[in-house]
Amino acid sequence: MVDILSTPFLWVVVTIGLYGVAYWGYGKWIDRNVWRSSAKKATPAHMYMDGVEYFPVSRYVLWGYQFKSIAALGPILGPFIGITFGWLPALLWIIGGNFFIGWLQDYGAMMLSVRKEGRSFGPITYEFTGARGRTNLLAFVLFYLIIISATFIALIASFWNAFPGTFVATVGILLAGLLCGQLLYRVKMNVFAVTGIGLAVVVLSIYLGVAFPITLGFGVWNIPIWAFVAAVILYAAAVLPTPMFVQPTNYLAFYPAYAAILLILFGALMTPFWGASFLGLTLPRAPTPISIQMPAGPFWFDPQGILGPIWPILFVAIACGAISGWHSLVSSSSSAKQLDIETDALPVGGGAMLSEGLLALASLIAYMVLAPSFFVGRTNVAAWVAGAVTLTTPFLGGLTAPILTTFFGLVLIIYALTVQALVTRFFRLVAAESWSEGRFHVFGNKHVSTVVGLGIPWAFAVSGSWWALWLYFGGANQLLAGLAIMLITIHLARTRAPTRFSLIPGVFMIVTTLAALVWQTGTFLYSVWAYLNNDNSWVLRNVRPPINTKDYILVAVAINAVFVAVGTVLFAVGLSMAVRLFRSYRSSMAERRARAPAAADGGERER
Amino acid sequence: MTESNDAPKPKGRGGKMKEAAKGVFYGMAAHGHVTAALRTRMYLEHLFMFITLGDMLGVPVIPPYYSLKILPYAVPNIKSWKQRVFRERDFTDQVF
Repeated sequence: MVDILSTPFLWVVVTIGLYGVAYWGYGKWIDRNVWRSSAKKATPAHMYMDGVEYFPVSRYVLWGYQFKSIAALGPILGPFIGITFGWLPALLWIIGGNFFIGWLQDYGAMMLSVRKEGRSFGPITYEFTGARGRTNLLAFVLFYLIIISATFIALIASFWNAFPGTFVATVGILLAGLLCGQLLYRVKMNVFAVTGIGLAVVVLSIYLGVAFPITLGFGVWNIPIWAFVAAVILYAAAVLPTPMFVQPTNYLAFYPAYAAILLILFGALMTPFWGASFLGLTLPRAPTPISIQMPAGPFWFDPQGILGPIWPILFVAIACGAISGWHSLVSSSSSAKQLDIETDALPVGGGAMLSEGLLALASLIAYMVLAPSFFVGRTNVAAWVAGAVTLTTPFLGGLTAPILTTFFGLVLIIYALTVQALVTRFFRLVAAESWSEGRFHVFGNKHVSTVVGLGIPWAFAVSGSWWALWLYFGGANQLLAGLAIMLITIHLARTRAPTRFSLIPGVFMIVTTLAALVWQTGTFLYSVWAYLNNDNSWVLRNVRPPINTKDYILVAVAINAVFVAVGTVLFAVGLSMAVRLFRSYRSSMAERRARAPAAADGGERER
Repeated sequence: MTESNDAPKPKGRGGKMKEAAKGVFYGMAAHGHVTAALRTRMYLEHLFMFITLGDMLGVPVIPPYYSLKILPYAVPNIKSWKQRVFRERDFTDQVF
């Protein structure tokens, strides 16, 4: 008998349906009534067409590009922490967050940039908040990039450590990327032939990874060593010309990464039907019945007593699947410059974000079908792979579990590594912008800035617990989203468009993320305070091995203190930015009211 | 040889879907790389234009004799070069 309620099937269908309403209902309404997009208005792609940065691109191409640029590790690992409070609140945030805030931000950022002649967020921030506001944004982005880098380096190291076959497979993809770069640009080989060769090398490297697993024998020092290896690879990716290394590697990585998501979604949709018969055809039976095993919740506080209350933690833990500030940078950086017509902004910006919600959904489902024991201590970052293998084994059973495990483990690493390569390059460019002149000009040098941009995150990655870093990352990322929504709201206020649809989400995100940063900083501060009162447990809980022992207690205290400083800076810079934006919004609204036609005088004041 | 005056046939639903699928696939797999390659070429072109036509900016990099020899090849790019060089740039433009 087909059992739909105990499997993830129903929730996949419900989420897809609600996202459909978000796009065709709420989305179209906002597009028509708030932004009043018009296919007849000239976009920057046509006004400033130069064939390099500004040129019109089909909405399908741009959707693919936008989706690929925003989809990364965020929607995959966020639900791992979010499910702490039960899968139901996590699912509701993935649905509700994206429905009311997520797509609105991506789409709004794109429309804002289009209406501002293709300018990105730096100049727009300058226009709305002045030179100090832009400097504030620059400082915030620098910290944000360091936190992202620390989180991703920690995760890459953990994945290599957890899945012994993945390191050889990763090296295989990197070598395949190098080979493809040479074949494409030096030998000038046909792109299809190059793709075929590259993918053959990728498949071969997965098999080699399974055949020759690499396990480091340094015990608790494994993670710092793997993190160092990751930093070396990222250094090469940041300083080498992109066509030689980053581009072809990212191109090849695209295939397994997206194949994995499609496989998981297919597996989730098929869960109630395995072993059932249709029209005389019997579908394969799952080795073990697949059903939802995690509790639905909601748990108002982390049952393990580590993370804290559901608000604000859940809302920063699940970042990119519901809303992400990174997307606003992508939307306004390049996609807006290539939008053919204004009405394409909804499918490209909003549509890509809603699709990313499905990526978060696929990941949440991979966690839902696992036993709660996987989540004890929140150190088992391999859980997603276990869930993915569970969901896909019924139809990929011909592949053995080690191959599937290596494949899905590799997918996690690919998502982290490819985005982190771009983040490291971006950090280098931001550093060059900040320090190319003046007393600290040495930090503008590409090698020095890259070493700094990887060295500090490495130190964070090997010392702090990944979930602690993740919450800082989520807090900073979501705060950036809140700030982006406020920029959008200011523009709407200045153009006399309705503002409440973006103002309420913007205020909610800013308040929530600032609260999360306060909570997280307070946790580290309390840990130091507890240590001073002879309680070591809190300080040791926030750091990873080998530092979480009494032998390294002073190092652990120092790391907690550093995290207090990082949280304080993030909070202070974010708050300062938020205050500037609220002031700008208030003055925009005052100006708008002063200029608005008053009903009583028949619009005399306006005339 | 005569030019064909036949208008392109309107695409059916299948043709449109195929085009959309190709577009999405290209966008996901290659569009970012193509844009990055174009940007790299743009910076090289900026350098070339600056070297050959530096006089226009008051920075004579090479003797005018050679600038004049290269001028016919550089002229078609002058407009877009000016447009790009004068454009406001910011660190947030560098994300992708």
